[in-house]
Amino acid sequence: MLVHYLENTFQQKIDAETRIEPKDWMPDKYRQTLIRQISQHAHSEIVGMLPEGAWISRAPSLKRKQILLAKVQDEAGHGLYLYSAAETLGISRDEMIAQLHSGKAKYSSIFNYPTLTWADMGAIGWLVDGAAIMNQVPLCRTSYGPYSRAMIRVCKEESFHQRQGFESLLVLCQGSAEQKAMAQDALNRWWWPSLMMFGPHDSDSTNSEASMQWKIKRFSNDELRQRFVDMIAEQAKVLGLTLPDPDLKWNEERGHYDFGKINWEEFWQVVGGNGPCNKERLDARKKAWEDGAWVREAAVAHAEKRAARKAAVAA
Amino acid sequence: MVSKTTDTSRITEQEVWSILEKVKDPEVPVLSIIDLGVLRGVQLDASGKLTITITPTYSGCPAMDTISMDIRLKLMEYGIREVQIIQQLSPAWTTDWMTEGGKKKLRAYGIAPPNPKQQVCHQELFATEAIQCPHCNSWHTELISQFGSTACKALYRCTDCREAFDYFKCH
Amino acid sequence: MLQTITKDTGNSGLSSPFRGTGGFILHLADSALVLGQRNAEWTAHGPVLEQDIAITNIALDLIGQARNFFAYAAQAYNESKDAGKASFNNLLPRPWIAFNRELQEDDLAFLRDERQYLNLLLCELPKGDWAFTILRQYLFSAYQLPLFQQLAQGSDQQLAAIAAKGIKEVTYHLRWSAEWVIRLGDGTEESNRRINKALTELWPYTAELFEPSQIELDAAASGIPIRLEEVQVSWQNHIHRVFGEAGLTVPTNKPFQKGGKAGIHTEHMGHLLAEMQYLQRTYPNQQW
Repeated sequence: MLVHYLENTFQQKIDAETRIEPKDWMPDKYRQTLIRQISQHAHSEIVGMLPEGAWISRAPSLKRKQILLAKVQDEAGHGLYLYSAAETLGISRDEMIAQLHSGKAKYSSIFNYPTLTWADMGAIGWLVDGAAIMNQVPLCRTSYGPYSRAMIRVCKEESFHQRQGFESLLVLCQGSAEQKAMAQDALNRWWWPSLMMFGPHDSDSTNSEASMQWKIKRFSNDELRQRFVDMIAEQAKVLGLTLPDPDLKWNEERGHYDFGKINWEEFWQVVGGNGPCNKERLDARKKAWEDGAWVREAAVAHAEKRAARKAAVAA
Repeated sequence: MVSKTTDTSRITEQEVWSILEKVKDPEVPVLSIIDLGVLRGVQLDASGKLTITITPTYSGCPAMDTISMDIRLKLMEYGIREVQIIQQLSPAWTTDWMTEGGKKKLRAYGIAPPNPKQQVCHQELFATEAIQCPHCNSWHTELISQFGSTACKALYRCTDCREAFDYFKCH
Repeated sequence: MLQTITKDTGNSGLSSPFRGTGGFILHLADSALVLGQRNAEWTAHGPVLEQDIAITNIALDLIGQARNFFAYAAQAYNESKDAGKASFNNLLPRPWIAFNRELQEDDLAFLRDERQYLNLLLCELPKGDWAFTILRQYLFSAYQLPLFQQLAQGSDQQLAAIAAKGIKEVTYHLRWSAEWVIRLGDGTEESNRRINKALTELWPYTAELFEPSQIELDAAASGIPIRLEEVQVSWQNHIHRVFGEAGLTVPTNKPFQKGGKAGIHTEHMGHLLAEMQYLQRTYPNQQW
């Protein structure tokens, strides 16, 4: 009876677009869905630092080195925001990290692809960050307060990344023939995986329905994917690059670009752990965590000593 | 209001300032480069040559290249094509230059604005400073990370409403 | 034995302001660049997210400082008269000569040969464990801060401005690294063991911080206010205070490793450069 009443009040708030705050009552399933989604998002930021971080030492100019360092720092900062937002739901960061390391929690599969040339940095900014923004902008209005507020700031910073990625590709495309070829090759490799970032077709998506009702999610996978294709197809013209899809063409009737079939087998293989870099990424995260254990222990030990000394002085 | 067909022979320095109010920080777009204190000078000489002076917030701030480009683009909208942009390092930028209006906008955006300088910027080790939660105004907050997603911010948590929020560090 | 840099080389009234200072500016740039490069190896691999961000941010600050110094060196070179240019000949990147254009910051940062880099050896050593990285950063920041404070007072306005800009950042670096030295020294047995090991390994490389080399002598003769003996006093005071709190003993043995400021490096340097320079060398004279 009480639960029924609480659930009604909760859904009324959602319907009235009132944000749910950490101390409000919420259905357990809502809490779990949010924890899963926010922590997955946080893990994606952290794992996503690896393929880009690998190019900091090789960045071709001081300016690009700065931009890349700042970008990866941004991602770490976003990870931190998001872990903190998830913590308001009653899970600790250590628990979330343990779930990542055990394979229980997922992260965006896109980061299981390798970064092979410098142009991949531009392609990631343009396509991967572009797709991420497409997915994330609606989250600025998501029903959970701390998540929506975190997403507003994350999205602004991500837009800056996308712009920098596009600009970096533009410079390559206006450069030598070799540089332009490098940019085209990066686009060829990153295009299809970025389309997969929107998840399975709506008809095959399992978590969507409740998320839509609770306004955690506001647009379907296919809607967002279409928006992304429409945007990138136009931007590619500015760069003078060709999207690697012979079926891509403007459909006057629909007012959208038609595009070819996504290789879902590849998608499920990568999600299932068989992508080119799944093992490397997870191993790198685990190693950093294990190698850092003594550092974290020392910090705790010192903080305790310092607190004890302070208490002794006060006494 | 400045018309969009102005050229530098007819425009005044004051009008350039009001145009540049529209150039925003690329990562914190609620702040203009004037709010932030990054725009240091607008100079229009007798021959109509326009010189704009900006200063970086941090030596490594990657937004400076973007800001320079945005200034050019914005001025171009008003028909001003010839402009020289100078990056000036001295005197070094400080959060004291952030305008009061800028601080209000930051707070409304969910970022705690920099404290007045005398309170902080100390060299004392292991010191903590009191930061007000921009969400619920509580002073019961704790530091999560001295460095945030960008160099100019630190991350705090409110122990009352549990919000994690950015603090624009005093510099 | 330390000496005061007041040697009069009789070079007053130079035809070019650049003469005598070029090597020194590159030295400042190279140390910041190389240490930034090393610290950035931690990015995405830090012991905990907050510190991953902190060390990345410090790397970013250092690369930013390096860029300011390189841009200044390139500009000063381009604006120099022949005599000033000639004094810089042996520091020019060889591939640049064929480009037939003005010198740019990236030419200096990415295209010199190993023997032309003038950074402190301390900066190029592999990153080691967290204790090694922390202690190296601390030893460097405690030196960089008083050095920049001197440079900020100088009459070379651009150099003074770059240094003044850097002071605030370095103040943060020093505070952050000092806190970590204390945490590790006065943390667990394991952290204490590791920081002591790092100290043993790093101490020999502190010699060249304070021993004036030709580049500093030349810069001082050109009017740059460098007084390394004062930098050393400030450094020692800071270290005594922080080591005291960390429970570390300041080594008494005399440090002896040097050579970086004369372009004689450790074996690690070539590998660092090979990785850092590869795109610029593979695709020369391109825009990025």
